[in-house]
Amino acid sequence: MREMISMIVVLTCLTAVSGGLLAAVKSGTELRIEEQVLKFQKAPAIADILPDVTNDPIAERFPVTADGIELQVFPGKLADGSKAVVFETKGKGGYGGDVGLMTGFNLSTDKIIAARVTTHAETPGLGARAKDDPAFVSQFSGKSTADNLALKNQGGAIDAMSGATVTSVAVSRAALEAQDLYKKLKPEIEKQIQ
Amino acid sequence: MAQSLAKEFTKGLWAEIPPFRLVLGLCPVLAVTKTVENGIGMGMATTFVLVFSNLLVSMLRNVIPAKVRIACYIVIIATFVTIVELVMQAFTYPLFLKLGIFIPLIVVNCIVLGRAEAFASKNNPIMAIADGLGIGIGFTLSLSVLGAVREFLGAGTITIWGGTPVFDMATVSSSFQPFSFMVEAPGAFVGLGLLLAIMNLIPSK
Amino acid sequence: MAYFELAIGCILINNILLAQFLGCCPFLGTSKKMETAVGMAMAVVFVMSMAGIITWVVDTYLLKGLDVEYLRTVSFILVIASLVQFVEMFLKKSMPALYAGLGIFLPLITTNCAVMGACLLNISNEYTFVTATAASFFYALGFGLALILFAGVRERVNLARVPKPLQDTSIGLVTAGIIALSFTAFKGMV
Repeated sequence: MREMISMIVVLTCLTAVSGGLLAAVKSGTELRIEEQVLKFQKAPAIADILPDVTNDPIAERFPVTADGIELQVFPGKLADGSKAVVFETKGKGGYGGDVGLMTGFNLSTDKIIAARVTTHAETPGLGARAKDDPAFVSQFSGKSTADNLALKNQGGAIDAMSGATVTSVAVSRAALEAQDLYKKLKPEIEKQIQ
Repeated sequence: MAQSLAKEFTKGLWAEIPPFRLVLGLCPVLAVTKTVENGIGMGMATTFVLVFSNLLVSMLRNVIPAKVRIACYIVIIATFVTIVELVMQAFTYPLFLKLGIFIPLIVVNCIVLGRAEAFASKNNPIMAIADGLGIGIGFTLSLSVLGAVREFLGAGTITIWGGTPVFDMATVSSSFQPFSFMVEAPGAFVGLGLLLAIMNLIPSK
Repeated sequence: MAYFELAIGCILINNILLAQFLGCCPFLGTSKKMETAVGMAMAVVFVMSMAGIITWVVDTYLLKGLDVEYLRTVSFILVIASLVQFVEMFLKKSMPALYAGLGIFLPLITTNCAVMGACLLNISNEYTFVTATAASFFYALGFGLALILFAGVRERVNLARVPKPLQDTSIGLVTAGIIALSFTAFKGMV
């Protein structure tokens, strides 16, 4: 009996201390981790999409809520004075899970400026080309909100990458969602953007 | 005392170096040795966990009941692995992404549990730290050597820290063709096997 | 049909052992003889499938629900360790023949990176419950397949005249590398 009690006590104390210690470390590093995610995952894509902005899209980011969806939006002021927004969507069904896509829209023309893949777990040399080789995602540049961003074999306007159909589908899903969200949230974005 | 301390520390660097002499901890050795940098990063993370879990297991060795010792060791090890995870996310984010799921997998790295059971539970804390440090550094060395072989042959570069190579064959000789087999999965197995064979040529004391 | 693609992915293309390097320690340890390899393979299929289900549930309802995702590593390994413990006790009482057959491999599964790895992969791939269950099972099948293939080759290799420094583990690793090489042929299949 005594043995059983000591086993339970030791395990419980250990687990409690462990939990407390981890919670402390977690709250200590939380802010820094968020900064790192922004810096390494999102910033390169944003810089690629909006190379000539006169502001700092990351510093000026703001959340937009509409229809029960909350989105973090990165605003950009283009060289010709027009405004742009960049945000991330996830395309389901990639080989290794969701494929993250950052899409930039020009608020004056309602057209896609560019799209870049942020996160993925696709096969190197095949699906991973979506991120490393911009040839595929450059198809999204210049498309308007009326264009069909599905793959050609699904009635849309986008060519899939050869040997990487699954990844291509995931990316086009992300683009379609970006298009959809942009249409839904545009009024809200225009209200909040400076 | 100092002599046996030194002995515990140095055995991890040669006589019981993982994974060559102490055949444990193979998964990360194969998976993260595409570059020297990843090998060093993984080695340091594992060393951190080894040292602290060894220390704690040793400090609590008279308190932990024998029947639940494995469960207790696992909780202790998992706690330190999570701390390493969070710290790496906060301070070395690109390396964290590259090492991926192998960071939480340190918790099932047979080396850590093995040392806790075989050594830390039976020795005082100072010895336990020496053991952890020695084995951890030895592991980091093995990871770096295999990483260097695979990276050099497979990509022609050597990357030690920060993502940019300190040495690139492309700048030395433009006719160098990297043997990309080495950075893929099969190359890891073969590379480790051959390195192990070379180690076997050297007699162990 | 998507499950067929998932199966091909988990068993052949992204084989958890030969492509993702998870589960190497038991791979080299239990593959010297075919019987031990088969025993380990069965034990892993059993535990990995169940662990995949339970850890998914824990992650979705407990960890995400209470917003404590950083406790994933700790909770997953505790789930796996407890699961193995329960499975051992259960088999000992109700299926002693199977228990005796699996022998020492059952407790060893706790430290099998493949089991923990598969559970973590289900989460990082953001699978649904059904997909996670299927994936865990398929990953386990892939592990078993690689293990049995390897044991078959290894039994023959150990009978051949291998130079002394290469004997045992060393030639085992090189052999594993060649099998891994043959599996890379599956890339780009889907």
